[in-house]
Amino acid sequence: MTRTSLLSAVAALAALGASLAFAAPAPSPVTPELVDAANKDGKIVFYTAMDVEVAAMLGKAFEAKYPGIAAQVERSGAERIFQRVGQEYASNIHAVDAIDSSDVAHLLYWKQQGMLAAYRPDDVARWPHSARDADGFYAANRATLSVIGYNTKLITADEAPKSYADLLDPKWKGKIVKAHPGYSGNIMTATFELSRALGWDYFKKLGEQQIMQVQSSTEPPNKLALGERPVMFDGNEYNALIVKRRGAPVAVVYPSEGTPLVSGSAGVMKDAPHPNAARLFISFLFSREGQQLLVDNGQLRSFHPDIKEPADRVPLSRIKVLTADPAEQEKAIEEIKRKYAEYFGT
Amino acid sequence: MAVVELEHLTKRFGAQTAVDDVSLRVEHGLFACLLGPSGCGKTTALRLVAGFLAPDGGAIRVGDRVLSSAAGVVPPERRNMSMIFQSYALWPHMSIAENVAYGLRLRRLPRAEIEGRVKSILAVTRLSALADRHPADISGGQQQRVALARALVVEPEILLLDEPLSNLDANLREEMRFEIRRLHDAYRYTTLYVTHDQAEAMTTADLIVVMNQGRIEQIGSPEEVYQRPRSEFVARFLGGTNILRGRRVGDRLVDCGGIVLRCGEGEHGRGEEAVVSIRLHDVELLPDAATEERTNEAAATVARRVYLGAQRDYLVTLKDGQQLRALTPLAVDIAVGSAVRVRLPPVRCRALPA
Amino acid sequence: MTLAALPRRARLDLSIPVLLALALLLCALVLLPLGCLAWYGITDKNGALTLANFALLFSERTFISPFVTTLGIALGVALLSCLVATPLAWLVARTDMPFHRAVRLLVMASFVTPPFLGAIAWEILAAPNSGLLNQWYRALFGLDPYAHLFDIYTVEGLTFVMACYAFPYVFVLVANALERIPAELEDASSILGGGRWHTFRRVSLPIVLPSLLAGALIAFLQAMTQFGAPAILALPAGFHVITTKIWSLFQFPPQYNLAAAAALPLLVVSVLLLWGQSWLLQGRGYTVIAGKSGAPRRIPLGRWRWPALLLAFAIVALPVLLPYAALLKATLVRTVSEPLTLSALTLRNFRFVFLEFSATRLALTNTFILGIASATAGTALALVAAFLTARRLVPGARLLGFLATAPAAVPGIVLGVALFIAYTRPPFVLYGTLWILLIAFVTIELPAAYQQLQAALSGLHPELEEASRILGATRLRALRQITAPLLRSSVVATWCFIFIGAIRELSATILLTTADTKLVSVIIFDLNESAELGAISVLGIALLFITFVTVAIANRLPARGRAGTVP
Repeated sequence: MTRTSLLSAVAALAALGASLAFAAPAPSPVTPELVDAANKDGKIVFYTAMDVEVAAMLGKAFEAKYPGIAAQVERSGAERIFQRVGQEYASNIHAVDAIDSSDVAHLLYWKQQGMLAAYRPDDVARWPHSARDADGFYAANRATLSVIGYNTKLITADEAPKSYADLLDPKWKGKIVKAHPGYSGNIMTATFELSRALGWDYFKKLGEQQIMQVQSSTEPPNKLALGERPVMFDGNEYNALIVKRRGAPVAVVYPSEGTPLVSGSAGVMKDAPHPNAARLFISFLFSREGQQLLVDNGQLRSFHPDIKEPADRVPLSRIKVLTADPAEQEKAIEEIKRKYAEYFGT
Repeated sequence: MAVVELEHLTKRFGAQTAVDDVSLRVEHGLFACLLGPSGCGKTTALRLVAGFLAPDGGAIRVGDRVLSSAAGVVPPERRNMSMIFQSYALWPHMSIAENVAYGLRLRRLPRAEIEGRVKSILAVTRLSALADRHPADISGGQQQRVALARALVVEPEILLLDEPLSNLDANLREEMRFEIRRLHDAYRYTTLYVTHDQAEAMTTADLIVVMNQGRIEQIGSPEEVYQRPRSEFVARFLGGTNILRGRRVGDRLVDCGGIVLRCGEGEHGRGEEAVVSIRLHDVELLPDAATEERTNEAAATVARRVYLGAQRDYLVTLKDGQQLRALTPLAVDIAVGSAVRVRLPPVRCRALPA
Repeated sequence: MTLAALPRRARLDLSIPVLLALALLLCALVLLPLGCLAWYGITDKNGALTLANFALLFSERTFISPFVTTLGIALGVALLSCLVATPLAWLVARTDMPFHRAVRLLVMASFVTPPFLGAIAWEILAAPNSGLLNQWYRALFGLDPYAHLFDIYTVEGLTFVMACYAFPYVFVLVANALERIPAELEDASSILGGGRWHTFRRVSLPIVLPSLLAGALIAFLQAMTQFGAPAILALPAGFHVITTKIWSLFQFPPQYNLAAAAALPLLVVSVLLLWGQSWLLQGRGYTVIAGKSGAPRRIPLGRWRWPALLLAFAIVALPVLLPYAALLKATLVRTVSEPLTLSALTLRNFRFVFLEFSATRLALTNTFILGIASATAGTALALVAAFLTARRLVPGARLLGFLATAPAAVPGIVLGVALFIAYTRPPFVLYGTLWILLIAFVTIELPAAYQQLQAALSGLHPELEEASRILGATRLRALRQITAPLLRSSVVATWCFIFIGAIRELSATILLTTADTKLVSVIIFDLNESAELGAISVLGIALLFITFVTVAIANRLPARGRAGTVP
């Protein structure tokens, strides 16, 4: 199934969903019965596109809280997760219990294919409506920004680019690192938002800046920290903030044109081999505890209303953000890949 | 009873027929030698008997069991035979004792019995002192005896030997011939022995089977095949002989050009062409050149004379240019270039089919 | 008369059925995926026959340019490998250079190193800005921040890294050939008045030339079909080689038919190269990595001994010493570009890999199990195949030999595509299990293993087996008790060869692993996406450690009896 047909199917379904289809499930609290049943499952397999260390930390925190359950966290790029789940289900392999993707269209697709189970942890009842599925199959468990960044050892705050327009300056030629929309869901979303805000002409010019191309949106902040390139065009804010907190000479810039906001969503698989552990894990992921962990250690943005914002970063309310309509983005994917290959050669 | 019978045995490799309609019966306890030049099919025949090859036609029978036929082959491991290979095929990763014990282990004999049998066969083959050595560390003759011990310790019904002595030096070879015969006489298994060396065959065998181009030329005791070859090939292969060709002019009377020969034995074929064989040591040289022409005698000139210690080896040229070789007692001493009279006694002249 | 009947059990001889079954397995192993591949190449998504895939392949610039780039890089790698390997092989094999054993060992270490790990290490060393070598260069000459000596993110950089891990193939072939030159040949030249240099140039060199060319072809083939190093270095450099291009076709939406079609030219070139190689070696086949017999005559270098050693170490520093040092440093600090001071030291990377990262244990276990299983199954299969062909036990034995060598012409990524297609749908759904990886590794390593054992087996007199048969052993028993022990050193070498190959493998693996069947190579690749150099280095060093220890143990298994041959 191609993405376009996927999207029209999803759109039709959404229209239908309003009238009948699924009744939104009642919010489910974590009951002792669920914990017991989850303990019997003994294990949870979580496919995620989150940063590998944050994902690993989440798994460890879950194991610490529920010692009877082993959390196996499989981290990969969103595109590879999507491809892998497709391959596995085509081969009738049901390995994954709970799943997270930086591309909400993936969740939509899985829901439409009947691969997800409706499950709404009680915390998600307090989520903004735009950040959760009306039928309770998934919700945004995290968000991040695709930011500009620079290495503070190599560049002073004055010299640093303030906007996307600044990055076309010839002085940045050969000095920019950037992730690839073909490999990263975050970058796909960000590229879509920027192509609408800045126009493709902007990317054409950017392509002449001798960009260093990497795959994942987690990679540019690390290249920045290494000093391999002084400036990053895009990349996850949370990675940048993490390496910064670890002492790397990295600073984040929220460009004047607006900063792309990318949210990741998660849900429970219908054919999960460990269904109860999967539900318990998702409840933990959306709980204040889990969300605060992602915010504090993972530097992610959360939709949980009780979250305490860390002091060392700019709160979302003070940043001009760019957002995307997933349906629109879906239609543009082939175009984005084609244009990208044309301008950047990969 | 291990009577080995080959019945119309045939084996082809591609277009070439290595063994061609061979029939042979070797009685139990007999020592038979397959003798012939390389490529005559003798080794192929032996490997057919061993079961390493499957025949394209005919059958191999031991006693009343059919072991090989075109329809099927009993694998080598179920034939209760032993074999000694040209390379000895001693296993370098096992000690002498382990090599010898291998066949007994396969037969699941009790450990103590294995040890006892290995000990006694090593004693018989005079290898006791070498039991723990490895094949690479002993001499060629010793390796040969290990191969014998390994083959004999399982007390086979039939022992096959494939050119077992060809890798030994001359002295050792002679000694081992007698050793092999001695062990045969001691254990009385049926032996098939392949060799290209007629002296080896003569000294060991009860029965010599001369093979040529995949076929059997002649079967007989050593004396038979030597004294009464039935073909030019057998006559030549079994040792030094003069072959004269000519035209039949009467009953066992052949005109060979420079000499007319009356043959005391043998048979000619039907045609006019005839062949006569006479062993080198049966040719007589007489110094009186002048006497008149007679059958079985001719005038000749000495072309070469070689001193061999116990004999002299002459090459003489007849008037028509034919050359003959003669082995004579030392007393016959004629200078090169002298005229001689050559005499081929009729009783030693053997008529052969052309 | 008869001593004892042979035991009843021996009467049930399973040899022929077992051997035939293995022959069938071999056919399935090779023919099934290749058949699927060919079929996919000439069909479209709906299964209708078409040549559109090839039309697209040969018209679209984004396909043609990876092909051209790949051939260029492969040529470069072959040349560079020969240029480096030949003098090194000569120094090690034929001169009295000190420490020549250590140098040989280091060359073997570069053979063992997975190219993707080498590529990551060279990123650490020679990335234009953060690369350690470039940092030192700037510090040494007081240059401005962006000046650099090396840039690994270029076609030349990739060529260099690939040559680092391809040159051992040339080295081994040339060194072995040099060692095989009978001293008499060189004596003959000397006695006629040829000087040392003259003798080398006119006698020794021409003799090893076929081996050199064959090595060059293998290096070319390796470079053309490799995925690991290009996957790390080509994207940042902004170009594709053919293997990375095929891999990108697996991205959403996957284009399997196009991927299969793109794989076929690679297959054709590989077949041609292998033809060339076997023609050059004239049936001598691969030379066993571990094999070495007799001491060759060593040419005295005089006062050039130590400079020669310096040169040799300079060469092996590139694939081994420098990268290993870089990896080691990366394990110990937070950011690898930091200077190595006491305060920068951290155990964070080890803690993360072994305590926090949940994939580690699974991947280490899987890698180890698969390495052992592939090596064992592959060696057994190769031994049986070599046995069947060398002894012509089944009809069509020659065909079997061809089948066993055929996978050599199948690049790993192509095999990955083929196996993926063949084993993700009924009747054989093996995707998601370790079995599919086992099949992949065994298939990939079979040709080299087969050729090694075939060569060893043809050097073994058949009468050794026949002697055991006639005493009452079945074929299988003879194979187990006589042939296998006698081939012991070749068998161990082959086993190690497959084990190393399985550990190094990434190209087929990357398409065939799932969460439960992760391997260390794949998590290294995944971690590279997150630029987790510290964690990668820890895992990489763990991988190398496992490899070296396993190979060392395999080579020290107690030998039964003694080696040695009967004249």
